[in-house]
Amino acid sequence: MSNRNVIDVSSLPHHEFDTFDPVWWGNNGLLAIETSMFAILIATYFYLRQNFGLWPPPIAQLTAPLRPLPELGYGTANTILLVLACVPMIMADRAARRGDRRAAKIGLTICVVCGIVAMVLRGFEFSAVYFRWDSNAYGSVVWFLLGMHALHLLVLTSETVLLSVWLRVREFDMKHRVDIVTVAVYWYWVVAMWLIIYGIVYFTPRLDLRT
Amino acid sequence: MEREREELERTWAHEKGWRRLLMETDHKLIAKRYIVTAFVFFLFGGIEAALMRIQLSRPDNHFLSPDKYNQIFTVHGTTMMFLFAVPIMTALGIYLVPLMIGARDVAYPRLNLYGYWVYLIGGLLLYTGFVLNTGPDAGWFAYVPLSGPGFSPGKRVDIWAQMITFTEISGLVGAIVIIGTVFKMRAPGMTLNRLPLFVWAQLVTSFMIIFAMPAVMLASSFLASDRLIDTHFFNPAEGGDAILYQHLFWFFGHPEVYIIFIPALGFISSIVAAFARTKIFGYTAMVLSLIATGFIGFGLWVHHMFATPIPQMGQSFFTAASMIITIPTGVQIFCWIATLWHGKLNIKTPLLFVFGFFAIFIIGGLTGVMLAAVPLDLQIHDTFFVVAHLHYVLIGGSVFPLFGAFYYWVPKWTGRMLSETLGRWSFALMFIGFNLVFFPMHQLGLSGMPRRVYTYLPESGWGTLNLIASIGAFVLAGGVLAFIVNFLWALRAGAIAGDNPWAADTLEWSVSSPPPPYNFHNVPVVQGRYALWESTPDAPVIRGLSTSKRETLVTSVLDAEPELRFEIPGPSIWPFMVALATGVTFIVGIFTPWAFLVGAILTGAALACWFFADPNYENRPAREHPERSRPVSPPAGLQPKEV
Repeated sequence: MSNRNVIDVSSLPHHEFDTFDPVWWGNNGLLAIETSMFAILIATYFYLRQNFGLWPPPIAQLTAPLRPLPELGYGTANTILLVLACVPMIMADRAARRGDRRAAKIGLTICVVCGIVAMVLRGFEFSAVYFRWDSNAYGSVVWFLLGMHALHLLVLTSETVLLSVWLRVREFDMKHRVDIVTVAVYWYWVVAMWLIIYGIVYFTPRLDLRT
Repeated sequence: MEREREELERTWAHEKGWRRLLMETDHKLIAKRYIVTAFVFFLFGGIEAALMRIQLSRPDNHFLSPDKYNQIFTVHGTTMMFLFAVPIMTALGIYLVPLMIGARDVAYPRLNLYGYWVYLIGGLLLYTGFVLNTGPDAGWFAYVPLSGPGFSPGKRVDIWAQMITFTEISGLVGAIVIIGTVFKMRAPGMTLNRLPLFVWAQLVTSFMIIFAMPAVMLASSFLASDRLIDTHFFNPAEGGDAILYQHLFWFFGHPEVYIIFIPALGFISSIVAAFARTKIFGYTAMVLSLIATGFIGFGLWVHHMFATPIPQMGQSFFTAASMIITIPTGVQIFCWIATLWHGKLNIKTPLLFVFGFFAIFIIGGLTGVMLAAVPLDLQIHDTFFVVAHLHYVLIGGSVFPLFGAFYYWVPKWTGRMLSETLGRWSFALMFIGFNLVFFPMHQLGLSGMPRRVYTYLPESGWGTLNLIASIGAFVLAGGVLAFIVNFLWALRAGAIAGDNPWAADTLEWSVSSPPPPYNFHNVPVVQGRYALWESTPDAPVIRGLSTSKRETLVTSVLDAEPELRFEIPGPSIWPFMVALATGVTFIVGIFTPWAFLVGAILTGAALACWFFADPNYENRPAREHPERSRPVSPPAGLQPKEV
């Protein structure tokens, strides 16, 4: 036994950022699942559009607008907010990497506030669509798109809350620094996904796609 | 050495009693549970099949009412696809992948445990509904409009839709667990280029699950919300679309066939190498074929929908793709034949099942090529010809390799050998029985017998062939029974297996049977594709992993260079609690949408506890937390001397 070659690994670290850590891969696996979910949902959106002459369909009411396009206000505000919210997340991401507990705490706290405000704005976005989920297929798919993204906002904000609480009551250990870097990836993904959904929900109805 | 082993035993020892049941995260324990559960569902599905065969054994039979018959064929298909085939394939991966790649556990053991509980809840939901006469009755794919709110009032279809949610969550979780494990937990030296074909098959399957299963989760969520909160995804009156449902379902449903089939290809590669006692011919071609099958598998789904108004151009595309996919499968079959050809055959029961696979699967593949042609498909769509075809590919392509895998790996799982004589009997009965049931169905389909109709008239002339099929069903059941008897007998009286009864090549055969909870005393270093056949006596060993914590080595994705000493999360109650919360959410969600609000809060709370109440963290000795208590260094005179 003693004359066998020995590879000594006792000096290896326990945790390391990004591709080193299994957590990073698990998180990216989740994002791959959710990316394909959104891709199929978006395909559904355009598939259903084929059934409509006008998208969104007109409303048979005198007081209704001629073309009930989703109003841009809340959605645009939310887009700006989410893009800006990447700044504190980048701050927390970098702070976690260099081991700066205070900066990480501040970054995550701002992110939590941004996440909550984004969810409130999302609530108003639903009212800016002129249809309910049970009005017609257009309403159903738009509510589903906005809703699925809102669900991710909720999960993401909750994760950020948990991490920022951890930073306050427990240690700033390597395992949880890796967690912060990983949740940052999720955050960027949620924002990127929103940019796509924002373009689709708010702007593609304004284009004439009929061939 | 001995002290080290004792400490490993202590560190990795299983919890006792109910804690073991609810909390233990050992991948082997979870996988065994998965396998037993899925096998029980397989028996349930088999009993349902037998009931249907009794009903169809003669014309104008009234053994089952039409309504019961609808529920039974729906629950049979649902059980076999969602509760048996996918979970059991994943389960074999969960048991064997860490052992084959030299890891001490999977990458996410608690997530793995969660996946099992969610799966179990889904299965219980379906069968609770079934015994309460609320079993789904709209076919295993629950097409709208039949399954929509207009034509299927009541809760039957909702149970189906939520069962999908549970099994797909569990399937996705299993896929992530396997991908993470294969990418990050391989023993040093096991580059991707040396990955056993079994593990490659599991990896490709897991990627297919990731891209396919979201489609069916959306389809079933749309269906459930159309039924519960009046959305209009599939309601043509409000701009919805019934064909959309078929697209979403089959975009999952066709890859699903490959999700069931590709792991079986991995079993076959393991069995062929071991029993031909030689290296697999064309490793690179085999791996590329697996990956190609994974990709092309996503381009076939419309061939299930040739009877719907699809543009002709589209039909031609999907016909072509359906024919192309035979090429990678053909490559693999020829590679196995070449391996068997130049090997020294050791013909044992596992290899017999592989031979059975060749015969049955190739017939199924040939009828598949026939069905890919649109004109023929339109003629025999929804007839027993399709029933015959799908059972030839699924039973031939998956169940036969699976039983071969049972005969091959049961010695590793239990430490006991199965009886060879009884094994040959079970193979013979299954092979003859299978062909007796399903071969006549080709002719029945060609002469026009429709699927999913509870009886037929004497004038149709279908009585004789149906009777033969029904007799065959009992012969087939006899073969399965022979396996069960064999297994129970072996547990008590089987010969002791030893570490490597088949002189096979992969790493799971280097450890005791059954393997110790920590899998490997020393993490091995792999020196070639056939780890045990190519290892030299002076192979290096890995030292320096903790024996007092559940530690394993994390390595790089491509070349498996050591990167981290990773502490694997140990037993925890919270995966079970989160699974319960998930269960409450979706089961109560059958009745009221408010369940999702309450469920979200429950699940969130349980996840927060999972995050904070981490037993690993709490049990860690204080000295490892420099912020909590700094170690006191002893005065210079008391420093330990270098020995």
